Parts: sequence; C-alpha cells; structure tokens
Amino acid sequence: MEYILNQLINGVCQGAIYALMAIGYSVVVGVTGMVTFTHGEVMMIGAFASFYIFQYAGSHIVLGLLGAFAASWILGMLVYKICYEHFFNAPRHISLICTVGFSMLVQNLAQICFGANKKPVLNIIENRVFKIGPVRISMIQVAIVVIVLALAVLLTVYFNRTRAGMALRAVSQDKSAAYLVGISVKKTAMIGNCIGCGIGGVAGMLMAIYYQTCYATMGSTMSMKAFSSSVLGGMTDVRFSALGGLCIGVIENLGITFSSASFRDAFAFCFLILVLIIRPHGFSVKKGARP
Amino acid sequence: MNTLINAVKKVYGEHKVLFLAVIVVLLLILPFLGFKKSTIRIMCRILMYCTLAGSLNMINGYSGQTCIGQAGFFCIGAYTMAILSTRFGISFWILLPLGGIMAMLVGLIVSIPTLRLKGIYLSIITMGASEVIRIVALNWESLTGGSFGIKDIPRPSAGGFLVDSPMKFYYLFLILAVIFLFISSRVIRSRAGRAWMSIREDELAAKALSVQTSYYKASNFMYGAFWAGICGAAYAPYLQYIDSTVFSLDEGFNILSMVIIGGQGTLAGPIVGSALVNFLTEILRPVGTWRFVTYALLIIIMMWLRPQGLVGASDSILAGGRIKMKSKSKKAAKESA
Amino acid sequence: MGEVLRTEGVCRYFGGLKAVENVSMTVNSGQIFGIIGPNGAGKTTFFNVCSGIYKPTKGRVYLCGRDISNMRPETISRLGITRTFQSMQLFKFMTVLENVKIGCHKGTKSGIFDAIFHTGRYKRDEEYVTRKSLETIEKAGLTKYAYTMAGSLPYGIQRRVEIARALATDPEILLLDEPAAGMNPMETVDLRKFVQELNRNGQTILLIEHDMKFVMNCCHNILVLNFGKKICEGTPEVVKKDPEVQAAYFGSGMIGGEVLNHA
Repeated sequence: MEYILNQLINGVCQGAIYALMAIGYSVVVGVTGMVTFTHGEVMMIGAFASFYIFQYAGSHIVLGLLGAFAASWILGMLVYKICYEHFFNAPRHISLICTVGFSMLVQNLAQICFGANKKPVLNIIENRVFKIGPVRISMIQVAIVVIVLALAVLLTVYFNRTRAGMALRAVSQDKSAAYLVGISVKKTAMIGNCIGCGIGGVAGMLMAIYYQTCYATMGSTMSMKAFSSSVLGGMTDVRFSALGGLCIGVIENLGITFSSASFRDAFAFCFLILVLIIRPHGFSVKKGARP
Repeated sequence: MNTLINAVKKVYGEHKVLFLAVIVVLLLILPFLGFKKSTIRIMCRILMYCTLAGSLNMINGYSGQTCIGQAGFFCIGAYTMAILSTRFGISFWILLPLGGIMAMLVGLIVSIPTLRLKGIYLSIITMGASEVIRIVALNWESLTGGSFGIKDIPRPSAGGFLVDSPMKFYYLFLILAVIFLFISSRVIRSRAGRAWMSIREDELAAKALSVQTSYYKASNFMYGAFWAGICGAAYAPYLQYIDSTVFSLDEGFNILSMVIIGGQGTLAGPIVGSALVNFLTEILRPVGTWRFVTYALLIIIMMWLRPQGLVGASDSILAGGRIKMKSKSKKAAKESA
Repeated sequence: MGEVLRTEGVCRYFGGLKAVENVSMTVNSGQIFGIIGPNGAGKTTFFNVCSGIYKPTKGRVYLCGRDISNMRPETISRLGITRTFQSMQLFKFMTVLENVKIGCHKGTKSGIFDAIFHTGRYKRDEEYVTRKSLETIEKAGLTKYAYTMAGSLPYGIQRRVEIARALATDPEILLLDEPAAGMNPMETVDLRKFVQELNRNGQTILLIEHDMKFVMNCCHNILVLNFGKKICEGTPEVVKKDPEVQAAYFGSGMIGGEVLNHA
C-alpha cells in the first residue's frame, strides 16, 4: 500500500511534467492549426540549454529555466519559418511531413553537436526527502510541481487578461475572423508557436532534472508523451491537455507497479487507445457546437 | 526539373511496353554483370524497400491516411518468420504469407480505434503502435529473445535449391516486388482502389456516394500492413539475425522518406524513392550521422519544392492544392483510366 | 404515385438552437419537391438530417416506408438517397469520368480478390461501370469534358458533374442542395431544363433553392421553412398566395405577391 501511494506521488509529479509538455503542444497545435512532430526535439533543446547553463553558470534553477525557454523559443521561430509559414493553405500532410523532416534534422544535428552519450544533470536542486507519514516526497518533486503550477497560472493570466493572449486565442479559434478584426495572423501564430515551444523547453528541462540526465534522442519518447496527453485532451484544449498529461503520468506509474518498468510507454499508449475508442475526441466536450 | 520529368514521362507513356521489357531484362541479368557482393547487397535492399515503401504508399498515397509506423508491421512480419522458423522449423514458403497475415491482423487492430477519427489521430496511433510493438519485442524475452534478438534464422529453400547468397536473394526480392506491383496495379484500378482514392480526395462526398468509408479505410490499412509483413518475413532470413533495434521509429521515418521523395500516390514513386535513398545511404555511409541530416534536409526541401515527390503528378491533391487549368489529353487519360 | 421520402416531426437542435423543429412532409414518387426559406431557416440542416449526416434529435425519417432515422450516410445512400452539396464536394483532382465512376460504386460488388484475379465478377463490374458512367455523362451532356480534371471546369459545369455523379448511383430520390447557386442566368435555365428532363424520365427530386423563378417554374410541390419551422406546404400557386410566406420573405405589411411573380 505504501509502495502504491509513493508511486501515486511519483505519478502526479511526472504527470505534472507531462501536463506542461501537453500544454505547450496544445498551444502550438491550437495556434498554428497544424500538427507538429518537432515538439520532442524542442524539449530536448530546452533540456540541453539548461544543462549547459547549469554546467557553466552553476545550479541556478531560474537561470536554467530562462535559458531553456529562450533556446526553445528560437528553435520555435525556426520551426515556424520552415515548417508552417508556407503551408497554411496547403494540405495538412505537407507541413506534417515537413515537421517530421525537421525533427530528424534537429535530432541528428544534436547528436553531432552534443555527442551521442548521456549527460548527467545532477544536484540542481538539493536532494532532501520529506516524510509525511508513510509517504516520501523529494525536494525535486516539490520544486517541479511548484514550477509547473506557477507556469500554468502565468499562462492562464496571459491568455485571459492580456491583449496579446486574447489575440492568440482568437487566432486559434478562427484565422480568417481574426484577420478580419485586424489581428496580424502570421505574427500572432508565430508568437503562439514560440510560446508553446518555450513551455516545451521548460518541460524538457524539468524532465532532465527529474531523470538526472539528458541525451540527444530523449525527444522521441517525450514527444510520444506529449502527443498522447494532448490527444487525450482533444488536441487543442489547453486545460484538458494538462489533465490528460496528469492522467498519463499517474497511469504509467501505477502500471509499472504491477509489471516491469520497461513497459512504461506501452501503458500510456494502451490507455490512450482505450480512451479514444470510448471518446473519439478525448476528454474535451464542446456542448451545442455544430459539428 | 519539371520539364525533364515531364519529358521522361512522355517518352515512357509512348513506349510503355518496350520500356517495361527492357527494364525487366536489365533487372534479370543485372547480378551477372560482375558486381561486387556488397553492390548486390545494396540492390537487394533497394528491391526490398521497393515493396516496403510501396506498401506504405498504398496507405498514405491512395487513401490519404497518414501512417508513420510502417516499421511496426515490418517488425511483426520479421518476428513471425524468425520465431516460427527457428522454434518449429516451419517452411519459409508457409511463413511468408503468414507473416503478412499476422501484420494484417495487427493492422486491423490498429485501425479500429482510428476509424471514427481524422488524419492526425491515425498518424499518432500508428506511430505509438509501432513503438509498442518494438517495446514488446524488446522486453518479451522468452518469445523474442529480448535485446539479444533471434539468431540463425534458416535460409529458405525450394526443392533442394537453397537461397543462400545475396544473388539468390536478389531474385527473391525481385519476384516479390514484381508480384506486389502487379497485384497493386490491379487493385488500384478496381472498385476498391477507386473507393480508396475517393476517401483521399473527399471523405464526405465518398460517404454520400455510399462508399463505406470505415470498411475501405480498414481494408486499405490491412492491405498495406499485409505487404509490409511479407517484406519483414522475407527480410529476416536475409539478415539471418534480427533484434528490435532494426524496427525503431527511425526505420519508419526512413520508409516514409522514400515514399515522400519518390512520390505518393504513384506506383513508380516508391521505386524511385527506394533507389535514391538507398543509393544515398551507401554514398553517405562514411559520414555517419550526417547521412540522416542529409535525409532530413532532403525531405524538407522536397516538401518546399515538390510536395508531390519526384514522379508525382503536379495536378494531384498531394501536390498542395493548386489546380492546374489544363486538361489531360484523351490518350493519356485513357491509359491512366 | 407511392411515397418515397417521408419525415415525421423531425427536430434537430444544436444546444439551445432549434435549427429544425417539427417538420413533417411527404415526397411522392415522380415529384420535384422544393424547399425554400430565408437564410438560416434550417434548410440545409434538414437536408443533412434526411441524408444521415446529422441524426434527428426527435422525429423519424422514412425512405419508401423504411425507417432510416439513425442510419449512417453511406447506408442511407446505399438505400437510395443521394445528395449533392451546397459547397460542392467534387473530387477536384480526378477527371469527370473518374468522378462518375466512383458514383457507380453502389451498383457493383467486386472486392479486392476479384480485382487481383480478374474474376468474372470483376469483369462484369468493370464493364458495367464503364458503360454506366459513359451513359450518365452523356445524359448530363458532359461528354466533351469526360477526360478533363473536374476542378478545372467552369462553376456551372462542376455543379452538373456533381449531379451526374449522384445520378450514377441510381437513387430513389435525388437531393440537390442549392444546385443553381453561383450560376449565371443562362446556366440556371440550362440546369432547370436538365432537372425537368430528369424528372420526366421518372427521377424523384428534392431540392433547396433560392432562385424563386427556378423553384416556381419547376417544382410540383413546395415546402417553406422559417426559423426551423414549417410555415407552408403546397403547390407553387398556394405558396405564392400564402400570407405567412410573404411575411417571412418581405416582412408583414408589404405586398410581396407582385415581386414574387417577377423574381
């Protein structure tokens, strides 16, 4: 029982990271209206940026966070320029395959630049363990959940209270209508894409801290998680995507208590398929909308 | 580039039979021209990938479903062959179709949850399924040998004639590719092929014309998976040793890039793509990881300049939605109909 | 003159919006039946309910006495309702012939194995498809466009291709959603003649149209919708004189009859 409870805590913590990934992914998909396969690589770049900052500037978590955000922001701009901007009016699969190509490009360039071996990301946060009854919570887990919650609140405020955030939401709902009321769709879409990527980068950093390692091919597993979470949440709905991420984290960690840890990815995926069979559009519900 | 391709197409259209005959003869005598063994191995790969990329093209190019996890079906076929032939010594010729059928069943299972969904969900599910298949192959040690893989997969033999050299495998893959192309060209010109293409062009209209889209999407998926399974089953004895790393997502992307570069929705596309990509693989082998960088750049450039691929028609839905205001000449249209 | 399509109290709500409410009607065999109404009156929604794209919230739809309310579009189409779309859904990158050939899907049965082995069934089917589609193309007067890419044709011709494609399914009843939308007057007259000729050959037709002249001249029976409700049903003469219809189109107090006659 204690074991399961602890796994539940681990699941929530990991789910929080997945939720952050899924939030970033949903923002990208919502704003650009196109599905991306580069998100894993964006997160990987975020993780590496923070790794180098930790290495050269010491273990300042805020500095690492900003660095990860900035690096992924720049990559996001590149992704936008190469994979989206020219294909807004073309069939969907063209930009999709373009993102597949771009993710191959970044992943292999990263292997060349950063080396193929795993890099340790140690002692960024002091490794203290709190004991509350039978439950053990580490400092890292607390920090991760706090960062995720803070970012989520920040984003909510940005989307709902600021002009730029409202413009982003307008663009993600209807591009031509946004265009008609005087929003610069291309610019807004790019900023939205970059914000989504930046959040992804921070998620990548948290992932590196949580697993205490980062490596060039870490993106592919992470992007699977981001996909699954955001598909669970209905692709474009930010809040439901976060919920989806949380679910996947918990399910995974509960799943591996009953079997071997190597089936972790399989659990998340099977859960996704089950949900999709029952609810084709994930958790999200749009009441009364015309199909 | 366009004019060159169109010129080649025109000449091909006018002397189709002659061309095909020359190509077949060339392919038949090719191994006897005194190539090195390593060159013949490359030819084997090219022919194998012709069928494999072709099978993916059946899904992506003809019914417009974007499948990314073709490596998963490939994996199923290969492991079916490897396990059953090493454990029970079942003949290659029984296992070849069986590998296809197993992959087909998995294809059916994968397609069921996506029938009610649109495009991208299918891509993600195929990608995930391919990963799950690989994870299971890696971790189910009692069945698949885990990370050690399966060794000593027996070579196929037919009546005392053992297929053991690359040259003999060359003919095996050639026969497979020809059978695949022959059957597929018949299928896409039939009622089922037209139904697939109508789904690619406009699913709502297809429904209104009483095409049972779910049935045809699933059957299309199963058809593509079947051939990928056959490829896997034929490829396992050629390698003699398989493990789960052969069937990673990168392999899936590799197959996808062949289809894209060659041209989706055409029978010739995957052949051109397979030849080009495998050729590049060999040339770029010394530069290691840069090879994948080159692929990636090639895919992106292809999407920018010729989204329909090298041999794809510019007036197709795959070319990016630009309608060329031109009419096909009657002769060309009759030939393609 | 048996009934072909009958609806009984069909409703379709989108959340709080009552797009179609309690509409009953009967289309008899050999009729041209028109549905008119101002913009947003629920005509297209009603069509979508009849062809199975939406399920009715309440009420029933019968085709030749058979309840089809909860069937899927492809099944309904198989049973004999074929529709065209307001925003044309042509296979734009296929030739006209290929478009019509897909319309022949319903009349054929051969599967993948028939195609691989070229069985007798496959040969019969292909022969039937080729003959039938060429016939249909000729009937629609599109012979000279048969090998042209459908998306590159002029608008009016595209509409006609869509109708031809629908005809290839041999429907019990043909549903046309604003067939004359975006056509110039010449094309509209041609279309009307075409529709009337189809009808003379025994085709039952249900159509939505905004062009009053078109509707008044060719329909035997007209249903008027407004705000999702049926406000009138009857022959063109009856509908023209109905005060409620005039109110719906021109606001109450105006003399609409004159204008209607000229329109």
